[in-house]
Amino acid sequence: MHEASIAQSVLDIAGENCKKAGYSRIDSIRLRIGRASGVMTDALLFAFDALKADTIAAGATVIIDEIPVGGLCNSCGKDFLTDEAYILCCPECGGLSFKVNTGRELEILDMEVS
Amino acid sequence: MKVKVVTRILEANERIAADNRRIFDDSGVYVINLMSAPGAGKTSLLERTIKELNKKLKVAVIEGDIAGTQDAERIGNLGVPVIQINTGGACHLDANMINEVLGELPLKEIELLFIENVGNLVCPAEFNVGEDMKVMLLSITEGDDKPLKYPLMFQESSALILNKIDLLQHTNVSIDKIKKDAMSLSPSIKIFEVSCRTGEGISEWTDWLVKKVK
Repeated sequence: MHEASIAQSVLDIAGENCKKAGYSRIDSIRLRIGRASGVMTDALLFAFDALKADTIAAGATVIIDEIPVGGLCNSCGKDFLTDEAYILCCPECGGLSFKVNTGRELEILDMEVS
Repeated sequence: MKVKVVTRILEANERIAADNRRIFDDSGVYVINLMSAPGAGKTSLLERTIKELNKKLKVAVIEGDIAGTQDAERIGNLGVPVIQINTGGACHLDANMINEVLGELPLKEIELLFIENVGNLVCPAEFNVGEDMKVMLLSITEGDDKPLKYPLMFQESSALILNKIDLLQHTNVSIDKIKKDAMSLSPSIKIFEVSCRTGEGISEWTDWLVKKVK
């Protein structure tokens, strides 16, 4: 979807946090991205590399932790995890009533600075 | 040196959306974010809805389009407050675009505000603008495969309006399949079948709206 504007937000947030902590260079940034977030990681990395020039993150790499879709089924009561980005029924029992708890993440976890 | 950040990447949008929401709540305005593909009938639905709600609710509209003012002119002809936002290329409305025009609306005099999003089945679902609920419009001629192809839009919506129901006999579309797939994506989704051309089904939708708002 909006990988370029997301990459720009990552640069803005990371840059602000780096300056606030009193450092002058970002070496790496770790993101948590859910599989159902709608973000294409290749497009995000491409946009980040294009936008980082002349910023304090110019030499930074992005590390992406992909978070699978997981939740709790109301039918069988089990916690589930799946490789799919979207599910229509519980992967364990096929039940239609469930709550998705993970897989929509889109956040900056931490970064290496110097 | 490792620095903890733990910040949502779209936090800036969420923060402004929360500001908008506070402004709406303080003024007692119920807000619906209306989303659909281009040509599904968002503006036609609003025209029918506004006529039907005449004297029951005080309505206003924010129109989001990439370019042009045709939609705002159509709504303006009905005598309700309307603001046109041209995104100039952006494929969705975000919270800041809404925030910038709020001062131009007589919020204290409005009970129900429709925000007609840019026609697009993907991006609008990702950006909250401070609405009370998202409503999705799908014209049946788009095909019964859409819920499974664009799941996020259906998951995020509290209501699904199926438009152009008068054309059903000319298509191979299965309304049952659309309903079944939409409900498996969002079990509590409320579904309406309407024709904005003939007016069929509009009163069920507006009756439900009046109960939500009042």
